[in-house]
Amino acid sequence: MTRTTNEVAPHPWRLVDDLHVTRSGAAQMQTDLDLLDEVRAGSPAALRLYTWAAPALSIGRFQPETDVDADACARHGVEVVRRPTGGAALLHGGDLTYAVAMRVDTRTSVQASYDEIASALVAGLAVVGVKAAVARHDGPPGAVCFAGQQGADLRVGNRKVCGSAQLRRDGVVLQHGSILLRRLSIDETDLIAGSHPRDQLRQSTVTLDELGAPHDPRVVADALIVGFARALGMTYRQPLRTEGTSGTR
Amino acid sequence: MEFPEHLKYTKEHEWVAVDGGRARVGITDYAQDALGDIVYVQLPEVGATVAAMAPCAEVESTKSVSDIYAPVSGTIAEVNAALNDTPEIINQEPYGLGWLFDVDVADTSELDSLLDASAYRALVESE
Repeated sequence: MTRTTNEVAPHPWRLVDDLHVTRSGAAQMQTDLDLLDEVRAGSPAALRLYTWAAPALSIGRFQPETDVDADACARHGVEVVRRPTGGAALLHGGDLTYAVAMRVDTRTSVQASYDEIASALVAGLAVVGVKAAVARHDGPPGAVCFAGQQGADLRVGNRKVCGSAQLRRDGVVLQHGSILLRRLSIDETDLIAGSHPRDQLRQSTVTLDELGAPHDPRVVADALIVGFARALGMTYRQPLRTEGTSGTR
Repeated sequence: MEFPEHLKYTKEHEWVAVDGGRARVGITDYAQDALGDIVYVQLPEVGATVAAMAPCAEVESTKSVSDIYAPVSGTIAEVNAALNDTPEIINQEPYGLGWLFDVDVADTSELDSLLDASAYRALVESE
């Protein structure tokens, strides 16, 4: 299964820069689903970039609600939202989230589509000096996204820096994922029943902050915008924004 | 890669085994290979009405959720409940124990629009 999705890449993509937009977690997921539906309806492929106004825990499409410690989430003021995509629980707030919606040949394997988008993410992270690589499956998936690695994810060394998931519908893939920018005062171990020890989770993950790389969302978002264009050989339908890119660390 | 001659196929990579007015449905060897390790299957309800080429089930593999389409219109007669606990048998035996559901076919003429093995093989092997 080596078929790739390159045939769709050269057409101009739509850039949805939502870093300045405040939405609830549920609205963020609906906006990603809307992106998928727009491409299903004939719109060009799209890249959306956003952050989270308040910490939110997203859980996978089929993840049991019993994985979540609802009392702890309420105590910490964390919204719980179900993703339309697969995978396990992920705490948002210290991350930059990307969403891609693009048409894929129905013969394209799941891993090939992850690899193609990974090439763009790797190129974007390279712009801010981070050398990331595609992760490989390291065991059965657990209840916490960042506690394990699969071919959907990116790592720096052996530590996971980006977790991604997909929904495929009518020949269109929605892939979204989180790039760890910085730690919050809480993490998934505070919110998921019976999850990994905090030390273990922290040792198996790394943030751009910890890598000494730029970790301002605006700077990293601009790097991804450049990286996607370079890696996929595409352009955007609207001019790139040029303000707000000076180096915050 | 297997393409059993006795089965019919869809362009969306489902297989269909026809037995009178009932059709057993699964996903092809090609599809399970493309999906990777399947960790969850959401099957339709027995008794549910399904429409030809409309989504009626979902599978998750490598954190990717994919639709499964009903090859023909009809009523779900039976589902493979073993997949609830062991979805990985779809990867191991896509044409056997890894079947998904049986449909009582509403209009058998819809079966005529399905692909035969050689046409399906040509589809997946074409560039």
